[in-house]
Amino acid sequence: MQDRLHILEDLNMLYIRQMALSLEDTELQRKLDHEIRMREGACKLLAACSQREQALEATKSLLVCNSRILSYMGELQRRKEAQVLEKTGRRPSDSGPPAERSPCRGRVCISDLRIPLMWKDTEYFKNKGDLHRWAVFLLLQLGEHIQDTEMILVDRTLTDISFQSNVLFTEAGPDFELRLELYGACVEEEGALTGAPKRLATKLSSSLGRSSGRRARASLDSAGGSGSSPILLPTPAVGGPRYHLLAHTTLTLAAVQDGFRTHDLTLASHEENPAWLPLYGSVCCRLAAQPLCMTQPTASGTLRVQQAGEMQNWARVHGVLKGTNLFCYRRPEDANTGEEPLITIAINKETRVRAGELDQAQGRPFTLSISNQYGDDEVTHTLQTESREALQSWMEALWQLFFDMSQWKQCCDEIMKIETPTPRKPPQALAKQGSLYHEMAIEPLDDIAAVTDILTQREGSRLETPPPWLAMFTDQPALPNPCSAASVAPTPAWTQPLPWGRPRTFSLDAIPPVHSPRARSVAPLPPQRSPRTRGFCSKGQPRTWLQSPV
Amino acid sequence: PTPLPGQDVAPQRVEIHKLRQGENLILGFSIGGGIDQDPSQNPFSEDKTDKGIYVTRVSEGGPAEIAGLQIGDKIMQVNGWDMTMVTHDQARKRLTKRSEEVVRLLVTRQSLQKAVQQSMLS
Repeated sequence: MQDRLHILEDLNMLYIRQMALSLEDTELQRKLDHEIRMREGACKLLAACSQREQALEATKSLLVCNSRILSYMGELQRRKEAQVLEKTGRRPSDSGPPAERSPCRGRVCISDLRIPLMWKDTEYFKNKGDLHRWAVFLLLQLGEHIQDTEMILVDRTLTDISFQSNVLFTEAGPDFELRLELYGACVEEEGALTGAPKRLATKLSSSLGRSSGRRARASLDSAGGSGSSPILLPTPAVGGPRYHLLAHTTLTLAAVQDGFRTHDLTLASHEENPAWLPLYGSVCCRLAAQPLCMTQPTASGTLRVQQAGEMQNWARVHGVLKGTNLFCYRRPEDANTGEEPLITIAINKETRVRAGELDQAQGRPFTLSISNQYGDDEVTHTLQTESREALQSWMEALWQLFFDMSQWKQCCDEIMKIETPTPRKPPQALAKQGSLYHEMAIEPLDDIAAVTDILTQREGSRLETPPPWLAMFTDQPALPNPCSAASVAPTPAWTQPLPWGRPRTFSLDAIPPVHSPRARSVAPLPPQRSPRTRGFCSKGQPRTWLQSPV
Repeated sequence: PTPLPGQDVAPQRVEIHKLRQGENLILGFSIGGGIDQDPSQNPFSEDKTDKGIYVTRVSEGGPAEIAGLQIGDKIMQVNGWDMTMVTHDQARKRLTKRSEEVVRLLVTRQSLQKAVQQSMLS
């Protein structure tokens, strides 16, 4: 039986390879080949595994490969269909009349993913029996691209599942749909009974404790069928751990914000499922998007600009349209050397652009004027291009920018910072993750010193300055004074008040604690007296009005 | 030059000769504002959505005071660089370029009466 299944699988792979070749789509072909090879490797590794934890990693790799193959197949079929229809002269069924304008692509990055758990009191406190452990990971899909996070071991000492991964998708449109799926598997051998005959299994399960017995039955029942899910293919008939879909959600442009947000999760499994985890029902993350129109110049060329307030003085500049500004540099080289532009003209949703001059002077054709409203004042910059073609191409670039801004919405207010994800280290020996709460006594803590000690021991040298929450209990201001001089360093990332008494999950909108020592952009503290912004570290509406001596 | 709408007085040209203090060249005033700042907290602007750069303090006897700069002045240009659409940090940098010993500012200011009223209200 196993052999037959293997043959079928090999045939599938062969078919897939042939499809890719016939389409002559070299890029997709290459990706498919790569995934097929990875999949073969994962299968071999799984067969050779002796330890449960190795098997979990190998199974995860296998599942991700399968899902990528499936997704690329789907993409191949779509392209094949489009090709065929083009040849026969008909439009593909799923596209209407060609759109006049298409929005620019962008980079979408999701990071600081955290899923709170909600253990029942009895499970947490009584600490009875053996420690159940689960292996979980997230699968993220945008378009035909699938990425996964690292695998994390979860047990009841954890209050949240926190992923360190920083996942980047580079070809997103403003209408993107980022699907997020949480998969879990038991670390302990759930399948210990799957091989045994039914009668023996029933006898064993009835003699086990009630909850573990229930789980064993559930795993037996589902052993025949597959834990099928939208993204993942069913596991081939390879003995090994089985991952189940625990929860999912889909995020779109509306969820994008330069800060942490909480989203609802749709729970997909119930208590009978062997891999069921008590999820609180939300996921907290930072979803940022950088449309290309904000980070790449969309037009550049020679212009003559009339200086504001000086009627007859036209300066020859090198204009660069990038993001929400038209930078006018004295020389073309200045754009690359970091020199300050002579004039910076804002281009945003409220800017009005007109071709031609208001009072057409003789011999002054090919002008365009850009007007911005500042309160009651209207400031207009008039620019002159070198030819009619140049004027048209500037107008076209500006219309495209306005269109992109209308599509990407809040992503065009200011550039959101996106960190290039560091390549993930290969999975280490999976150590049990402890939690702060496990180390704290349950009695209400009145002793700040004891709390600080635990924190210091745990965080090690990272606590150079006293944590900001300390200010709530002392008189000294630990938060930066907004009226002080402009050089204020960003505060450390451990910013939430410690829970006392019975441990609870972190506040859902608070900043997760930093586990890795790498630098990252810090989100603002809840009382909005944030330090001076640097570069593009934006945080929504400005709340400060800083003063600096010069 | 004619005054801009909203201003009672024509734009002023102020030429400040920086003073050397040890390693630094100082001008002797402080600025507030910028496109990355909250304009509603600006005590000197008439229009509370104005994100321009304003003079918030002038040191006594300093180069800025000697040159005639006044508290509440809005800085439009510095040595030809536009200051109406800059961030707070960009503004500070344009004023403190080490290579420049003299800065020529183009500023606008409200009438004296209005300036006093504004600072008393805030």
